[in-house]
Amino acid sequence: MAIFNLKKREIECKVVYYGPGRGGKTTNLEYLFKTFRKQITGEMVSINTEGDRTLFFDFLPMGLGKIKGCEIKVQLYTVPGQVQYSSTRKLVLRGVDGIVFVADSLEVRREKNMLSLKDLQANLKEYGLNIFKVPLVLQYNKRDLGEQGIPVMPIEQLDHDLNRQLKVPSFPGSALKGDGVGVALKECMKLTLKSLQKELKWAQ
Amino acid sequence: MSSVTGMKMGEKENIKQLLQEAELYKGQGLLSEARLKYDEVSDLVRNNDKIKNKEKLLAGLAKKINLLEVDTQKVEKGPSSPELSSRAQDLIQKLFSFSKEESEEEAALEGALALAKFGQFERALAEFNKLFSNETHRVVAAKNILRCHIALDSEEMAADKYEEWAKGDVISAGQLEKLRAFLEQVFENKGLNRKLTKVSSAVETVVEKKQEEEFIDISSIGILLESGPGKGKVVEFDVNFQSGNLLSLIISKKDGKLIEGLEVENILEDLQFYSPIAIFNGTGVVAAKSEIKSGPKQGDYCLDIKITST
Repeated sequence: MAIFNLKKREIECKVVYYGPGRGGKTTNLEYLFKTFRKQITGEMVSINTEGDRTLFFDFLPMGLGKIKGCEIKVQLYTVPGQVQYSSTRKLVLRGVDGIVFVADSLEVRREKNMLSLKDLQANLKEYGLNIFKVPLVLQYNKRDLGEQGIPVMPIEQLDHDLNRQLKVPSFPGSALKGDGVGVALKECMKLTLKSLQKELKWAQ
Repeated sequence: MSSVTGMKMGEKENIKQLLQEAELYKGQGLLSEARLKYDEVSDLVRNNDKIKNKEKLLAGLAKKINLLEVDTQKVEKGPSSPELSSRAQDLIQKLFSFSKEESEEEAALEGALALAKFGQFERALAEFNKLFSNETHRVVAAKNILRCHIALDSEEMAADKYEEWAKGDVISAGQLEKLRAFLEQVFENKGLNRKLTKVSSAVETVVEKKQEEEFIDISSIGILLESGPGKGKVVEFDVNFQSGNLLSLIISKKDGKLIEGLEVENILEDLQFYSPIAIFNGTGVVAAKSEIKSGPKQGDYCLDIKITST
């Protein structure tokens, strides 16, 4: 849930990176942390296991500068993707303002993508949120693996599986290389701020 | 792995491709996917009699599969809630308390609950113990103190804590009874034979009776209606019967529509109480609502309101 500080003219919002396990959510944040140092307003915190799987969440605070005279701050989170951490995902999702769904382009992860999206929809519903109304973008990650001869799904298939009904902005990407990372977040922020602007006007 | 010889070009390429995929999936942490590919390769090799060094190949594959199994076990049996650093715990407490702007106390409770949900029971216990001293959140804190002890496998400490509260007077008998029932159920589920002191409900009855005797006589009550034909108006009803802080009203059937929006457990703010000596404001809750089915007042409504504060 966004915090509006009208006195300081500051908006702080929460964006969560969601998706199946090992899909690249943490890698997205690591790339942002490495590349956008000037915009990072605190340390990146990762609570993970020895095998580098996210256990609880990753956290990265960023400042995105001023938009229409308002200082925009965003807290980025990732959720653990493994099936057994369902309750943690729900906890981290609380108060979300925008979502980047990181889908895995590998052919062998097709079903996991769809299950994860369903899981997101169910968790949002528990907070009274509708997946069709929440600011959401899709990132089709690991596109680079196709160049190495590993079977990846065509974009059309990913769009058909995940975006047929949602019809949200989608971006091919490779979080390891940084492709599609910045643009996905930028678009997510655009949608999030647009949504918050409506809310603020409504509240006034 | 040594090159596969004695095979047709297509088969060789297929195995190479499968092995490449297996290695990549393993590197990505996709262990079950890697395992499937190794199994596919093993099947291809096993079913092909033309492969030289077949046994050596299969042994190499078996070794890789075995290592995968070890990794898979580590992942599946990994700690579900390891104890985090105090810095990480501080962050959890800060990031997962959402009521900072409205209420510090509420935020403190949310932070403590978040710590417990993330399995940081020792730290959560410390926070709940602080909250226990605050009357507003005492009962919630008490419940969670017990939960934390149970989560830390210290059922005896949970029981001792309950007994300590049962001897004191900071938690009401009714609330203690709920805590006792909860704890005893946990003990039963764990096969522990530990009974807890049952605090006499007579104590609470005496307290309630005392409260009844002290309550001023109220002759009528004004309710601010939030829905129905009387929305926004304060409508006055006579009190038919009073027992302490419980007021019974009889609403005539012609006025039934006025109270159609009222349901049991609705909280009523801005109530006005009219007594012979004073008019005062307060809040209440709808304790009961029913239509009178028979007798001279058939069709009228009986509405019970419990005064919660004045």
